Amino acid sequence: MSSSSASAADRLAALGAVTGPEREAAILAALEDEAPLVRDLAIRLASRYVEPQVLGALVADGENAARRNGALAALERQGPYAVPYLLELLRSPDAELVMFALQVLARIGEPTSTAGIRPLLRHPDPNVAQAAIETLGRLRTADAVPALLELLDGELWLQLAAVTALGEIGDPAAVRPLLALVPGSVLAEPAVRALQRIAAPESLEPLLRLLSEIAEPGLRQAVLEAVAVVLDFHSDPTPVATGFAGELERAGTLEGLTAYLSEILRRAEAEAECARELGSPGPADEPALALDAAAQAAAAVALTARLRGLYPLVLRRVGDPDAPWAEPLWRRHGAVPREELAALLSHPEPAVRRGILLAGGFDPADLHALLVRLNDGEPAVRAAACRALGVTGDGRAAKVLVDRLQHGTPEEREEAATALGRLPPEALAPLRPCLAADAREPVREAALEAVRLAGAAAFEREVLDAVRAPSDAVRLAALRAVATLSGTRAEVALLRALGDRDDRIQAEALELLAARGGDRIGTTLIALLSAEDSLRFRVIRALGRLRTREAAPKLEALYPEVPLHEQVEIVRAVAAIGAPGAVGFLRGALASPAAEVRRVAAIGLADLATADDLATLAGLAQDDDWALRNEAARGLGRLGLPEGRAALLTLVRDLEPVVARTARIALSKLGDGSGTAAA
Amino acid sequence: MNAADDFEYKLLCDLIQARFGLSFAGSRREILAARVRPRLAALHLHSILDYYHYLRCHPGREAELDRLAAQLTNNETYFFRERHHFDIVVKHVVPGLREALRTRPLRALSAGCSSGEEPYSLAIALYEAGLELRGITWEIEGCDLNRDRLARARTATYQAGSLRACSPEERARYFDERGGAYVLRERFRRRVSFFEANLAEPGALAGRGPYDVVLCRNLLIYFDPQGFDRTVRVLGAVLAPGGYLLLGHSESLIDRSHEFVPTWLEGAMVYRKRGADGTAGGEPR
Repeated sequence: MSSSSASAADRLAALGAVTGPEREAAILAALEDEAPLVRDLAIRLASRYVEPQVLGALVADGENAARRNGALAALERQGPYAVPYLLELLRSPDAELVMFALQVLARIGEPTSTAGIRPLLRHPDPNVAQAAIETLGRLRTADAVPALLELLDGELWLQLAAVTALGEIGDPAAVRPLLALVPGSVLAEPAVRALQRIAAPESLEPLLRLLSEIAEPGLRQAVLEAVAVVLDFHSDPTPVATGFAGELERAGTLEGLTAYLSEILRRAEAEAECARELGSPGPADEPALALDAAAQAAAAVALTARLRGLYPLVLRRVGDPDAPWAEPLWRRHGAVPREELAALLSHPEPAVRRGILLAGGFDPADLHALLVRLNDGEPAVRAAACRALGVTGDGRAAKVLVDRLQHGTPEEREEAATALGRLPPEALAPLRPCLAADAREPVREAALEAVRLAGAAAFEREVLDAVRAPSDAVRLAALRAVATLSGTRAEVALLRALGDRDDRIQAEALELLAARGGDRIGTTLIALLSAEDSLRFRVIRALGRLRTREAAPKLEALYPEVPLHEQVEIVRAVAAIGAPGAVGFLRGALASPAAEVRRVAAIGLADLATADDLATLAGLAQDDDWALRNEAARGLGRLGLPEGRAALLTLVRDLEPVVARTARIALSKLGDGSGTAAA
Repeated sequence: MNAADDFEYKLLCDLIQARFGLSFAGSRREILAARVRPRLAALHLHSILDYYHYLRCHPGREAELDRLAAQLTNNETYFFRERHHFDIVVKHVVPGLREALRTRPLRALSAGCSSGEEPYSLAIALYEAGLELRGITWEIEGCDLNRDRLARARTATYQAGSLRACSPEERARYFDERGGAYVLRERFRRRVSFFEANLAEPGALAGRGPYDVVLCRNLLIYFDPQGFDRTVRVLGAVLAPGGYLLLGHSESLIDRSHEFVPTWLEGAMVYRKRGADGTAGGEPR
């Protein structure tokens, strides 16, 4: 397998084709091929066909770095299959080999390997001890925490590794020792990052204190981000944050913190604007991403600590596609006393007015203040005011919302329809003219959406009339509203829509009927199976979704006569219904010449197989099609029988990473503790 | 992402890669998810697996594959995006070809031209540089795999968003406003034509070129390493020796192709095709 005598494509093809006794030598040679694609294939093949012991010998060979790297990558891909051998390597006198074994164990992430690793924390070679610490961190096993805490008094690089590992493990027992390292230690920033990962509620107050005290920009931003994560996980952070802000105010030092947060929020907004100007969707690079994260953190602190002077800076970002965090953050932490709401609603910046209207939580007492905003000069603010009126749930808003629905911009109309849908149905009388046949099409469509959301019972006649409208858009909207009605007339309207001239409406009607369920729908759908039209594909799918048992024999009988796309759906439906005899049908479908039929049959079999199907699954485990091997792994995992172990230990080294991952999960389900046993 | 998601996405990603040469592996899977979501809703399908089967087996699959291609490569574009590239053509490509352009037009290709903003931007830049007055003409071709977008390109009619980087003066100078839309004036549309091509196919540009400059911006990011190399070879094959390949700011040929010489111009890296002597010093002919 020379690197120079043939093109990379030729070498790739040759390597893929090699079998027999020459295979292992060819694979090992290709691990040092000059072409990355060839090396990558060699690693996948080595993972599948070369034993861990052979790969371990390559790792031990310090003379050939390329083969060593390839062997390490292959061992990692072997996952649980290689773990017993890697644990043996930990006892090697060769420190370098031990470190490589630790590195691979960390990447495999098999938690049962912790016991074998822990003794290495006190290894005389500090490099091995450091690798052991890092590996325990990656494995995230809490029982390693006491030993790691002891290392915080040790050598500096071991301390650093221990700090990082404690963060990765995430045990709150490490909070106090880590806080003791901030700010006066060289390990301060790693300790803050570790505290961020742990995100324990008890770290909130001390971290806020550090945020107000630390001047060094890098460390301060790290603390800010840690605070934001702790806030996110905290069940009730506001008392802690407001208490702390009050303390700063009394001490006259709150302004320093506010200025810092304000600066971050402004810089991030300016950066986002600049990126938009340049045509980049969202933060474009690492510094921009870091600034966006800091802005999100600053906003979280501002809202939980009730730093009201910063509210406009946060509200400006609500509705900004570059700050998708702003609205949920405000909803979670934002709170404005009613006496201060008016100032935000009439803020000179339209973006702030819009922000509070989009994100605020309003009730009927806010009605008057919100109605004023329907006359705002900015269409986007008016649309947001419609949404806010809906949030109040106050029926008195119905009339003005109907006015916006009739005469507003498309955005106002859409928001007004959604808002009307949130009002009590009995308040929607002003909507009636918008549902009439002479209403403009977009108005009627929006009104039907409002009725759908609110519940259509009071408008049954109008909605049923609209189902016969000439406009496709109106009929579709009407049909969706009809689906919220109970009773025969609604069901008949939906059934009639199955014959609509528009395919999309037929499909929608079928979806709505299937979602509606009921005794009669199954019978109706079975009757529709005899119609050879485009709807039958959807009828088959609906029967599967409804799990209509009576449909199973009809579907199986229909299977040989229908085109491929319907065969695929029949196999899926039969598997979903899971009636007696389904497994036999699926086994038959596995013999189909069509790859897609075989694939869906394998998926079904993985869901329904019993111990009797072990041989079938073992056969699928050797199929050329990776999708079938994947389903074999899934089925074997679902059965959880020890008899499936041999096949799974092969599949765990599959050339296709998706299959290997599925097999690894399956192995962990066997329940005989053999997940990592290769032999 | 759980194992079931991995399985479904791999099926779809493999299909997309085989059909279009586009890669959505790894973290780009989220982009794929966002882009196919509207198609699932439109077809009343419920999962990626449903959609995969639709694309593989349904009688409407060919039309849906066209729609999917449009959805996957639906990068927002606009007039004068990365304006410095048009300056490079005017200030560096054209002067270097002065002798050759006495007897033939400048030839340019906009690969992955979407709805035409890029080739028309180049036409405007060349027109505004006064080349016509100096007897220099041009032929600009745009290609894309989506015929709906090409149809839109041929109408040269745009919404305001496509003009976001144009000053009010530029809008007034280059476009006629009609019913809320902007129609590019005829003088800028002349000598710009479009054709359908899937650049993932080795013969996509057979019989085309040679071009003096090829713009292929923000397209290669979608390809897997093999698709990337294949597409660069396809573009290199139609570029004249010494010709310029202009890529997006996040795309690079450094350490990926020996066929091009990286050159720093106007604050951007561009790539010149090597001539027979191995240098890019010669002018394209």
